[in-house]
Amino acid sequence: MDPRLSEEEEMVRRSALDFLTEKCPKTLVREMEKDEKGYSPELWKEIADLGWIGLVFPEKYGGGGMDFVSLAVLLEEMGRACFPGPFLYTVLLGGLPILDLGSEEQKQEYLPDIISGKTIFTMALTEPIGGYTAASIKVKATESGGDYIINGTKLFVPAASIADYMLCIARTDDDIEKGITIFIVDAKSPGVGITVLDTVAKDKLGEVVFDKVKVPAKNILGKLNLGWGEVQKIIDRAAIAKCCESLGGMQAVLDMTIPYVKERIQFDVPVGVFQAVQHHCVYMLIEVEGARASTYEAAWRVSTGRPYSIEAAMTKAWVSDGYNRVVALGTQAHGGVSIMEDHDLPLYFRRAKAAELAFGDARLHRKTVASELGFEVA
Amino acid sequence: MDFELTPEEKAFQKEIHEFLDEHCNEHVVAETLSLQGAGPYSKELLRKMGAQRLLAPRWPVEYGGRNLSAMCEVIKVDEITSHHAPFPLDGVEIGNSLLMVGSEEQKKKFLPGVASGEIDIALGYTEPDAGSDVASVQLYAEDRGDHFVLNGQKIYNSEAHVCEYHWLLTRTDRNAEKKHRGLSMFIVDLESPGITIRPLITSGGLRTNEVFYEDVKVPRENLVGEKNGGWKVIMSALYGGVAGGGMATGTKNVIKKLIKYALEEKQDLDENQWIPEIMADLWVKTHVAEITGMRATALGVLGVTNQQYGGGGAPSRLLASESRRVLYNTAMQILGPYSQLSKGSKYALFDGEILKEYLDAPRLTIVHGSVEIQKLNLARAMGLPRR
Repeated sequence: MDPRLSEEEEMVRRSALDFLTEKCPKTLVREMEKDEKGYSPELWKEIADLGWIGLVFPEKYGGGGMDFVSLAVLLEEMGRACFPGPFLYTVLLGGLPILDLGSEEQKQEYLPDIISGKTIFTMALTEPIGGYTAASIKVKATESGGDYIINGTKLFVPAASIADYMLCIARTDDDIEKGITIFIVDAKSPGVGITVLDTVAKDKLGEVVFDKVKVPAKNILGKLNLGWGEVQKIIDRAAIAKCCESLGGMQAVLDMTIPYVKERIQFDVPVGVFQAVQHHCVYMLIEVEGARASTYEAAWRVSTGRPYSIEAAMTKAWVSDGYNRVVALGTQAHGGVSIMEDHDLPLYFRRAKAAELAFGDARLHRKTVASELGFEVA
Repeated sequence: MDFELTPEEKAFQKEIHEFLDEHCNEHVVAETLSLQGAGPYSKELLRKMGAQRLLAPRWPVEYGGRNLSAMCEVIKVDEITSHHAPFPLDGVEIGNSLLMVGSEEQKKKFLPGVASGEIDIALGYTEPDAGSDVASVQLYAEDRGDHFVLNGQKIYNSEAHVCEYHWLLTRTDRNAEKKHRGLSMFIVDLESPGITIRPLITSGGLRTNEVFYEDVKVPRENLVGEKNGGWKVIMSALYGGVAGGGMATGTKNVIKKLIKYALEEKQDLDENQWIPEIMADLWVKTHVAEITGMRATALGVLGVTNQQYGGGGAPSRLLASESRRVLYNTAMQILGPYSQLSKGSKYALFDGEILKEYLDAPRLTIVHGSVEIQKLNLARAMGLPRR
C-alpha cells in the first residue's frame, strides 16, 4: 500500500496550486458569484491550454493520458480555490461518458472540442420531483421519423446556461430501469428553454425545459433504453469527483483555522490554548483525514478499473456531512469574524451545502450502503 | 498511489487467518470473552502462535520476529480481535519500546520470550493519583547501588495477574524541578517477594488489578533507559507505534451479525425503518476509520513523518474508538427489550454477548490514554499553543 501521490500527481498538485493561487483569487470567486455566466471564459481557455480539461483523456483526442487520481488531485485544488466554472461537469458529465459510451464518430466529434475548451458540457438528469432514481425520470423522448422528440422539465442542471451540449437523460420506454436513454442534446436546439436559479453557492444551477426538442437518433449515447446503468456509473464517479472538490474545501477551512487560533488573542492568550478550541481543531483534522483517505481510495479504484459504486456511496456519505461539520467547527473556532460576508469561510459554508446536495446527499448514499448490506430500502 | 496490501502482507494475512481459524478454538474464545485475562488455553495458543513467529511480526528475526512492516502488526491485531484470540498483547507493545530504548541485554532477555508467547508483560503506569496525569506517579524506587527498593501502589493494571513481568513506571527523584524529570522505568519480575496483586472488577466484568509494592528489590540491570529518564521511555511507547487504527474486521463482523438479525426478525418496517440507515451509517464510519488507519499506517511504513499537522495515526485511532462506542449502543437499540438480557437468561439473544460488550464499551475510550488525552496530544502535535 502506498497512499502517496506519485511524482507526476505531485506535479499536478503543485502546478494547480500555484496557478489557482495566482489566477483564481477569492476576489474572482466573488465576482463570478455575481456574474451572469458564473465563470471566466479567459480563465477557462487558460486551463484548457494548460491541459487540465483533457488531463484524463487519451492523447489521440488531444488529452493528457493521465489517470483518475491525477484528476482527483486537480479537483481537490479546485475545491480549495472555490474555482468557478463548469470543469467537473464538462469532464465528468460530458467528456468521460462520451469516452466510455460513445461511438468512435461521437468521440471524434465531441472530445477534441471539449479538451480544447471550446465546448462546455453538462448533464440534464434530475427533475422537479428530485432524486437520483430511475423512477424519477419522467422527461420523455419519443421516436418520430428517425429523430427523437424530447418533452419535459429538468431541474438543478449544473452550468445549464453556459453549456453548449447537455446529456439529457430521458425516458424512452415505460420499463422503469430498462426504459432510459442518454441523448446528446445541442443546448441551442429550438425548444430548449433555460432559467438560471439563484442557489446557495451561486453556482448557476438551472431549470431546463424541453419543449418538443428534436434530437437525431445518432445522438443517442450508448444503447437505447439501457442508459440507466450507465447513468448510475456516471453519477457514482461524479460523486467521487465532488468528494475530491469538497476535500479541497475542507482542507482549506482547516488550513485557515489552525493559524488563526494560534494568533487570535483573547483573555491575553491565543485562543488555541483553550481545550474547547483545540477539540474543534482535532475534530476538523479527523474529518479531513477521514475524507482524504476514503476519497483517494475511491479515486484509486476508479483509476485502476476496480468496482467503485459502494466506495462512492460510503465516501459521499462521509464527505457530504463532513464538509459541513468542518465548516461549522471552523466557524466556531474563528468566532464572529468568520460570519461576515467578506470573510472567506462563508464561501465554503455555502459550497459545503451545495456539495452535500450534488449527486446525492448523505442520506441517499446511506440508503445505497444499506441496500448493499442486504436491506430492502424504498 | 496504491491501496492494495503488498503480496508479503497478503501472505501474512492469509497465514495468520488460517492459523487462527484452526487453532483459536472455543475454549480460547470463551476465555477471551470472559474478560478474566489470558487463561491456560489462551496461553497455549499464544505459544503456538509464537512458535510460528506470528506474535511480533515487526521485530527483527534475531528477537523472534519476522522483520515485516507495521502493516503486518495491524493485520495481526485485526485477526486476533476478529477471532477473539487473547488480546491485548501488551508485551509486544512494550517490546516495541524496548527495541528503541532498551539495552542489548534487556532485548535479548525479554524479546524472544515475548515473541515466542512464553512470557507476557503487563503495563504498570496508572496509580490512584496518577491517571491521565501519568507524570505524577509516586511509587518510589530507592537507589541502593546494584539494586533498587520499590514501595507504592499501582492500579488498573490489567493482565498483571497472568503476566510474568511488570513494565513499571516509578519515581526516582521526588525533588526534580519538573515532575516528569524524576521518573524511571523498570521491568520487574512479578514473582518478586513483596508484590501483592489484588483483583478489581470493572462494571463490564473485566478483571483488572491493583498491584502493591512493599520493599521489593529490583536489580539495577532491570532499569530501562536512564535513571530519571523514564519520561523518554514512555514517549517512545506513545510515539513509537506508527500504526493507525487499522483494520476493523471484528467491528464489521458485529455489524453483519446485527444486520442478519434485523433482516430475519425486524421486517416490520413501520416500526423499524430507522434500522437500515443507522446500520449503513455505522458501516460508513467503520469503513472511513479503517481506510484512514490503513492509510496512516502505510504512510508510517514508508517513512512519511510529515503527515499533515503531525497527526500520524492519531486521527484514525480516535475515529475508531468513537465509532466503536456508538456501535454497541446501536446494537442494544436494535435488540430492543431483549438487549437487557444477560448471558444464560431465558430469551437472551446472542448469548448475552451484545450486553456484555455494551457494558465493557466505556472502557475502550478510557484505557491506554483516554480519548481526551489523545485529543490533547493531537492538538500538541498540530502545534496548537500551550498555556
